[in-house]
Amino acid sequence: MAEEIILQTRNLRREFGALVAVADVSIQVQANTLHSIIGPNGAGKTTFFNLLSGNLKPTSGQVLFKGRDITNLPLHRTAHLGIGRSFQITNIFPNLTVLENVRLSCQALGKDNFRLFSSHRRFRQYEERAREVIDQVGLTKEALLLARTLPHGGQRKLELGMLLAPDPEVLLLDEPTAGMAAEQVPELLELIQQVQELGNKTVMLVEHNMNVVMSVSDFITVMHQGQVLAEGAPSEIAANEVVQSAYLGELYGELEAMAGNE
Amino acid sequence: MQTSISTSAQRNGLAAFLKRNGSLIAIVLIMIALPFVVALLDGRPFSDVLANETGNAKFVQGLMIEIFILAIYAISYDLILGITGLLSFGHAMFFAVGAYGTGIMLKNLEWGILPTLGGIFVLGVLQALLFAVVLPRVKGITFALVTLGLASVFQIVVQSNEVGEYTGADVGLQGVIPPDFLNTSTERFHLYLIGLALTVVIYLVYRRFVDSPTGRVCVAIRENEDRALMLGYNTFYFKLAALIVSSITAALAGTLHTLHQPIVSPNVASLSYTVLALLIILIGGMGTLSGAMIGAAVFRLLEYFLDKQFSENASFILGLIYVLLVMFVPYGIVGTWQVKRLQIQQGRARLYEALGLRKKPN
Ligand SMILES: Nc1ncnc2c1ncn2[C@@H]1O[C@H](COP(=O)(O)OP(=O)(O)OP(=O)(O)O)[C@@H](O)[C@H]1O
Ligand SMILES: [Mg+2]
Repeated sequence: MAEEIILQTRNLRREFGALVAVADVSIQVQANTLHSIIGPNGAGKTTFFNLLSGNLKPTSGQVLFKGRDITNLPLHRTAHLGIGRSFQITNIFPNLTVLENVRLSCQALGKDNFRLFSSHRRFRQYEERAREVIDQVGLTKEALLLARTLPHGGQRKLELGMLLAPDPEVLLLDEPTAGMAAEQVPELLELIQQVQELGNKTVMLVEHNMNVVMSVSDFITVMHQGQVLAEGAPSEIAANEVVQSAYLGELYGELEAMAGNE
Repeated sequence: MQTSISTSAQRNGLAAFLKRNGSLIAIVLIMIALPFVVALLDGRPFSDVLANETGNAKFVQGLMIEIFILAIYAISYDLILGITGLLSFGHAMFFAVGAYGTGIMLKNLEWGILPTLGGIFVLGVLQALLFAVVLPRVKGITFALVTLGLASVFQIVVQSNEVGEYTGADVGLQGVIPPDFLNTSTERFHLYLIGLALTVVIYLVYRRFVDSPTGRVCVAIRENEDRALMLGYNTFYFKLAALIVSSITAALAGTLHTLHQPIVSPNVASLSYTVLALLIILIGGMGTLSGAMIGAAVFRLLEYFLDKQFSENASFILGLIYVLLVMFVPYGIVGTWQVKRLQIQQGRARLYEALGLRKKPN
């Protein structure tokens, strides 16, 4: 694998009043890998993603994309660089159809946004691409329903579809399966892995399901209280004692307690 | 080969257009026939209408021209509020700039009608840019208040004695002499047809705009502006586009107002005139475009009949009707009708399914 660093942070920090949500995090993301961020609730994963995507400005520190400083880029520029993201809390256009949600996502990076007086149907390439992605995420039958009428799982799929549609180089996925029925989770994560491998893409994933994370990731960063606790390949993380006590312990401790082994 | 495909597509396009817009075309035909029908009911010859004789036919045309003006004004408000989700309390200024501008250009500057229209166009763009200056800095209710502030300043200026020579200060702008072929007293049928044509053209242009790539983004901004930004849309330019189209349209409504009314009162720059646009699109259905047309007709006709029936109590009854409308027809006339139609379609589909019948797809 070519050792290209596509995304990098330098001492990235974000404070909310007295709370330090992200504390001087420096990480490097290799191109064409699936890089997961794990950590307990409130560890700062979503805030970290918000800093990467430009949704939040850092208190200090830098974000570099292909060596270029993108820390202070306006929010709407990020997508044009080829960085896309999806949200832990579904973030869609509720009163538009599924198709229109995805189509708008394709149109955004095209050159036809200021055709004020021609019908959008003339620009078929966006709709065709949108339908392709809708099939891919399994919403074919729901394409013409209003997004708000979809069940939660359907809205998660739509969220993923809106991310995939413009074919970004880097995908930031914040708990794509949050609140989904358990049996749908593996299917969706397989799709993500497939997109990453076949498309030579870089995926950053936040996900709570440990089994899944361990099996799909190339590299894992563990966050805890805003800081990087450990990083490495899945096998290294699983074997890391600090991680086990600080994080995996918390998670599995409960299970063990329930089983009466504690 | 290529050309034959495109011409057949165009022919299909025209046929499809006629088919899709059956009711619009019917309304236009009825509107053209209306003055003649009124003349007929009055026992007057049709030539009365063409000769511009005083009578009910002429009066009805005047009332209709007022409806056209309100419809154009209201649809321009629907574009920024109902479609793009921008709440402006200064919309009356867009209209008033057109009304006063037309008067001043025709009367004081003695321009012809075409240079005047050009001037209105330029003013329309400029005032949209003025509103847009604050766009990136303020959102929601703050934008509403800032635009209210801008419009209030404008109203104070037109009412001030310093510019009274041009605006007529408190009294209003009077004595504008429109070009002969647009003169509402001597050539009302002309102005009526032009008003009708303008209304229909603006409606069609708006429908096209909302269906365009730009318009779709405007709707997305209304739905979830942050998400639109994250998809890569610089939402400022889309809001600006909507503001410019809206402002030019409102100014044109103002032009028509000045041509039709003997006096332009400073009232047209007031908050109550913005509220009028809001009321009309609430009655008709926000974000539906055709709602602005229907709302304008309902509003003006109600006002007229209630005034005639109840004179001094009219505004009280009018207010009551609006409260009831908003309570019981929450999406406006067109909006509610669309919801019901959808429900009926879905209900019918379920019924067919339950009976094991398949409805043929078109
Ligand atoms: N906008 C905000 N204002 C104030 N505090 C915030 C804000 N956003 C996040 N926080 C705080 O920052 C900390 C990190 O939150 P964050 O959402 O990044 O965690 P997370 O790792 O994504 O957690 P989860 O697994 O629950 O999604 C939390 O203590 C949270 O309460
Ligand atoms: Mg989170």
